Amino acid sequence: MNWKKNGAAALAAVMALTGTAAMTGSGILAEASDGGTAGQEWEYKEDTITMLIDTDTSMAGIQAVCDLAEEKLGITVEIETRVGGPDGRNIVKTRLASGDMADLCGFNSGCLLKELNPSEYFIDLSEEEWAKKLDDTFKDAVTVDGAVYGIPLTATSAGLVLYNKDIYREYNLEVPKTWEDFMANCRTLKDAGETALIGSFGTMWTAQVPYLGDNYNVLSQEPDFAQDFENGSAKYATTPAALRSFEKLAETNEYYNEDYLATTYDDGCDMLVNGEGAHWIILSQALSNIYEIYGDEVNKIGAFAVPGDDANDNGLTVWMPGAWYGNKNSEHIDTIKRFMEFYISEEAIHAYSEAILPEGPYAIKGMELPDNVYGAVKDMQKYYEEGKVGTAMEFQCAVKGANCGAICQECVSGQTDGKTAAQKYDDDCRKQAMQLGIDWE
Amino acid sequence: MNKKKIYSAWFLVPTLVIFTGLFILPMVTSLFFSLTVWDLKNFTFVGLENFKMFFSEGSLNIGIRNTLLYAVIGCSLKVTAGFLIAVFLTSNIRTKNILRSVIFFPNLVSTIAVGITFKALMHPTKGLINSALGAVGLRGADWLGNARTALFSVLSVEAWKGVGVATVIFIAGMQAIDKTYYEAASIDGADGWQKLKNITLPLCRPAMNSVILLAFIGGMRSFDLIWSMTGGGPGFATDVLASVIYKQYAEGFYGLSTAGNVIMFILIAFIAFPLQKFLMKGEVD
Repeated sequence: MNWKKNGAAALAAVMALTGTAAMTGSGILAEASDGGTAGQEWEYKEDTITMLIDTDTSMAGIQAVCDLAEEKLGITVEIETRVGGPDGRNIVKTRLASGDMADLCGFNSGCLLKELNPSEYFIDLSEEEWAKKLDDTFKDAVTVDGAVYGIPLTATSAGLVLYNKDIYREYNLEVPKTWEDFMANCRTLKDAGETALIGSFGTMWTAQVPYLGDNYNVLSQEPDFAQDFENGSAKYATTPAALRSFEKLAETNEYYNEDYLATTYDDGCDMLVNGEGAHWIILSQALSNIYEIYGDEVNKIGAFAVPGDDANDNGLTVWMPGAWYGNKNSEHIDTIKRFMEFYISEEAIHAYSEAILPEGPYAIKGMELPDNVYGAVKDMQKYYEEGKVGTAMEFQCAVKGANCGAICQECVSGQTDGKTAAQKYDDDCRKQAMQLGIDWE
Repeated sequence: MNKKKIYSAWFLVPTLVIFTGLFILPMVTSLFFSLTVWDLKNFTFVGLENFKMFFSEGSLNIGIRNTLLYAVIGCSLKVTAGFLIAVFLTSNIRTKNILRSVIFFPNLVSTIAVGITFKALMHPTKGLINSALGAVGLRGADWLGNARTALFSVLSVEAWKGVGVATVIFIAGMQAIDKTYYEAASIDGADGWQKLKNITLPLCRPAMNSVILLAFIGGMRSFDLIWSMTGGGPGFATDVLASVIYKQYAEGFYGLSTAGNVIMFILIAFIAFPLQKFLMKGEVD
């Protein structure tokens, strides 16, 4: 657990540096302090590789890097897309098992990677010099049995509450410090006829974000919960601090838009920026999706961490980005490695951030955020500066319930209460524990 | 000379090989793997744990309940509607050929496309159905979002799509009925209702039996329409056996999903065969 805290501290340090850079008003992207690789000479050798990526990831930045790779390295990248969520995971697993995987596979880091049996399919990068640049917390999220498999696909992100600042101004609301304040704000908005909370549960995975994004609050009260849960000695239903996550989820039920079970993730982006809803509990990657369509209007949006019950100890739950994994059975392993090295070079990250701004700190050591980041990311920065960040459960615990989205969707739509949802989640996790060979009896 | 000896038993070999390789072997292996925790490479034997889990866990056993509901209701909707439409379309109406095509048309469209279309039509605020209801001053429901109505919304689409096949089978059955029965009945002074009840209904029993069996087994196996309309949601409200099995498979619980398949096989076998026997008994020549 210690290294995890250190990892968060490293990110915090990065963010603190960024703050300084912003104050001095330096260029769009400050040079890395430990000798950047900008202007590095790249070997030019023509080759073509394929990549498989989900459609929820914003493509503009990836496309920019691919274009640059073609120009500088001679690598042509053919992009193939798949759906996200459980269906997408199924596609990845099936294609891996049938030997039909693209050269580069974009997939989650953390416990979901472990399910893929990576040693069988992916290139081990631990011997590569450039893999040392990976942030430690991220590196751990792509390490299985000592082998490092991935490079960060995007910047880190967070599960948090995005809110429309115009609406807050109109109703004279303050950013809530506790869950109670948050619900009070929602009540005020609801009474005024506004949609207090955007529900985008037509896209099922979004239903789990309020629960997952509450992890900092859970672990700040029960620091050992992640470990105890993994080894089976603690349960959500019987640990009050953890149960609270599901109770909070159930409490939100009355504040959603009328069509919250049919609204999709994409609809949610539109609703938030257009003021059709005041809050949206979602991953900060939504900022990029909004930026792609609405440009600078994204700065109408502010952010705060999922509030807890204690005003003095509230923090942000951070997600390590998904990663590119190289196909071990490809005929283009050299090209894949060249592309990976390039992808995490400063040059490529510059190109990436010119197309699309990061939704949180980079998972690359020494890389700093540009100072024209989204307003909401600046709001997030405060938590990093105070050291009040922790990673999501899936980076601290090997067990994640497969039906998490459906259980949360059931709870948030009022079919079950918090307690039942927590019990169901515990049961659901038991299946995963069994699959992983962890004895939970 | 014994005729049976003309052909050597070796002629059976190709069939047996195919049948064993493609049916018997997978069945036996799936029975075995349903008793394990399996990741396609390694497995651990766990006995009946998977089956226990399937019956005890709410998010899994709701699939069994919903499957039965879906099969029974879907089947009765199709049989009733199909029969009535077939009666109408075998009567003396001028446009019956066009109408027969129209009623069969939904069946030609891909189920996934139907699902996606109806999902859009049933959208609570932007869908055509609720907009139309709103225009005449009615307040539409959240068809797919309300856990209590969602399964029935899907069922109505299932019936809309499946009624064409039922109708065609009924029409074929009705046309095969000898016209002299009706003539004789008319001479005896029977009215339309009596002819329907005493001639059409009993004499198209074979057709009805086919429809019932097809619709029932189809309902038990249903997956694509439900998956494209609700994904099993909201929560688990519209999960059927096939979607539950698919989800377990997609998450890599291969042992558990195989156990689900075994349960589905047993369920279909134990309901479909007796049902068929029962139906055949009642057939009139």
